[in-house]
Parts: sequence; structure tokens; C-alpha cells
Amino acid sequence: MAIRHDQGIVLRSYPFGEADRVVVMLSPNKGKIRTVAKGVRKTKSRFGGRLEPFTHVDLVLYEGRNLDTITQVSVIEPFPKLRTDLDAVIAAGTMVEAADAVAQEEESSMRLFLLLHKGLRSLEAGQRSPDLITSFLLKLADVVGVAPALVDCASCGRVDDLHRFSFAGGGVICDRCRGEGAVRLRSGITEYLAALSTADFMELPGTSDVLAGEAMGIARRFVEYHLDRKLVSLAVME
Amino acid sequence: MFEGPVQRLIDELARLPGIGQKSAQRLAFHLLLVEEADARRLAAAIGDMRDQISLCERCFNVAAADECSICLDGRRDQSMVCVVERPQDIIVVERTQEYRGRYHVLGGALSPINGIGPGQLRFEELKSRLEPEGIAELIVATNPTIEGDATAMYMAREFKPLGVRVSRLASGLPVGGDLDYADELTIGRALIGRTEL
Ligand SMILES: [Zn+2]
Ligand SMILES: [Zn+2]
Repeated sequence: MAIRHDQGIVLRSYPFGEADRVVVMLSPNKGKIRTVAKGVRKTKSRFGGRLEPFTHVDLVLYEGRNLDTITQVSVIEPFPKLRTDLDAVIAAGTMVEAADAVAQEEESSMRLFLLLHKGLRSLEAGQRSPDLITSFLLKLADVVGVAPALVDCASCGRVDDLHRFSFAGGGVICDRCRGEGAVRLRSGITEYLAALSTADFMELPGTSDVLAGEAMGIARRFVEYHLDRKLVSLAVME
Repeated sequence: MFEGPVQRLIDELARLPGIGQKSAQRLAFHLLLVEEADARRLAAAIGDMRDQISLCERCFNVAAADECSICLDGRRDQSMVCVVERPQDIIVVERTQEYRGRYHVLGGALSPINGIGPGQLRFEELKSRLEPEGIAELIVATNPTIEGDATAMYMAREFKPLGVRVSRLASGLPVGGDLDYADELTIGRALIGRTEL
């Protein structure tokens, strides 16, 4: 058995045995990792608040047969403001949940890690636009290789008359290819989504509430369709 | 696989929190080998607890009557309610002997990541207590975790507009701990919740 160094963003944790927790993290090098934090549920635990969700930590791990055990942890970025605002907690929860859903174990995930890190950072910096989640989800789809077509028809590649969106078909659909299950879009939404799919998290367009709401609805349904699961964080406050 | 009744007990024990197959086997064989009276007393204690204890109709603490002993205690300050996640947390606050109000057990904490929303917790039940009991202050004693924080923030948002004071247990450094062992988050919290001397 060996000692190894790693870092990660804490995604979630669950109770394990009497006083321990399994802490699930996203590591840039090893993807999703499950580690044991011994005694962390005790108030006087030496880990303190370091292993709370959303925290970016540096780790020293003792490799075990199934799970690695955390021997040392230090905080790289605590993201304290994230915790003091309910909307930020829900947004961060959504990001972490989506990242958790797509991350693989034992697989380098630098792009996913950087995306999540950037997302949490912009929340910490005060970004509260609903477009942040939309943009995050579109970029997440891209990272895992299912980016929706937004500038040309997902079926034939035409660039005009794009008035519908097909969740199963992988993006916007032109009037000629429209088939079963494609929803009709409000005008302007395709361009809005396309802008969000490449926008910087700190410079989101935020032009209209109606577009923002619908864009998030589409991004969310699209990701939920491709993950084959609901994003429960977003459903919490409905 | 063991003889039917032994395996049945192992399976039941293994469903308890923190007990795996191995521990369940160890416990089952222990119970098989101890004095019969000891084993029967355990079985009776479980049965009695389930027969005699239920949840308080007012605060959802464990109770031996329709209401718990704290709610029934006339000396308690009714205008103050300490809001906790679980009944076990009441005992922790009670042990301090610093608190003389009543309680309200939410049944958990808001957890966006686990999909636990306000609808699954006993907020509505608490709202319906405000007027009849003349509640003026809620002290939120949820855990100092993301979930506990989210719950406290939600309560401030929901209950302050109803004219109730909402406060939160200060969280900070553990008594008897060393400052240099504390993590950044804990020290940050302690700073925010500092008290004037
Ligand atoms: Zn087409
Ligand atoms: Zn009661």
C-alpha cells in the first residue's frame, strides 16, 4: 500500500460506519474518486469543515484495496461566499450534481474539473444570473461529447429556418427535418443558447428574463435527457 | 447461509445503519450464545419502545404521550423555539442547560444535492405553530454543514417576513481546541460570529 497526493473538488459525501464518511471528489487526474475520511462526523474532527461540498482541497491519501483513506487535507479554495446565499448553494449544487453524473472513475477529467472550478469561482465572485447554469450545462454537454447543435440543423446541417429543438435528435432542427418530439422555439432562443454555449461565465448576455428562463429549461431538459436522470438540485425550490 | 432463523436475524441486523454483513453475523452469534434472558430483554426493549413512544404532535420530538415532556412542561418559554434536524439534537441542546424554550424537529435539512426540498421538511407544521403559541423567536440549530446552512438561509427567507426573529447558533472554534488546528472555514465562521467583550 502506498501514499499518494491528489487534489479535488468535493462533490458530496455519505455516512460510512460509525463516525466516518465516504467523500466523493472530482480529481483532475483520476476523475471521480471515493475516499474515506475517518472520524469526520465528530465535532472535534481534525478535518473540520475542509471536506464540505464545493471545497477545492489538496489531499494526501493512503491507498487501500477498495477505498483510499485521507491522511491529510488542506484547502486550496474554500469558496466561503457560496455557502452564505441560498441561490448560490442551489446553483453550486446543480453544477456539482451534473459533474458527479458524468464523471467517470479512474479516468482523467481535466476539462470537467476546470469547468466545475470555473463555475464555482464565478458563483463565489457574485455571478447570480440564471444564464450561468444554462451556460454551465451546455459546456458540460460539450465536455462529455454530446454538445447540442445550435447553429445548424442537427439532422441536415442547414443554417436557416431553425425553429425547433429535438432533445433526442441532438439540437436545433430545421423546418424540413422536423419530426416527432421536436419542440417549437420562441424566436431568438437559438441564438441565445449559442451565445451561452461559448460565453465567459462572468460576461453572460442576460438580455431578457423570458429568454433566460426558456434557455435554462431547454439546456436542463437536454442534459437530463442525455444523462437519463433528473437534476434534483434545480427541482428543490420549485 | 445459516439456519433460517439465524440468517433472518443477520439480515435484519445488517439493515441497521453502520452495520455490515460481518458485524451482523458477529452480533447474531453473540445473541445466540449469551444468556437467554439478556437476548429476550433486548427484544422486549425494542418492542416496548415501538409500543410506547411516538412523535410529539406539536414538535415531533419523541414522546410517551401525544406531546413530549418538553412541550407539556408549563415552565418552558413558549415564545422561543429551537429548530433542529433530528430528535437526537434536542438532547444535545438540553444537556447545555442554557435553553428554556420549546423545540421543533424538521426531520432533516435542505439538501439540493440529494433532492431534499422544503416540501419534505416540517416547515408548514412550524408555520402553523407561530400564532397559537405566540412564537417570537426561532433559533436555528441545524448542523454547520452546507445542508444546515441552506436550511438556516431558507428559514430566514421564509419566517422573517412573518414577523418572527430568526437567529442561528453561532458556529466557530471548538472549546478546548487549538487555533492552529482549525480550518479556514471554521475560523472564517468564528470571525463572522464574533462577540464583543
Ligand atoms: Zn434539417
Ligand atoms: Zn413536543
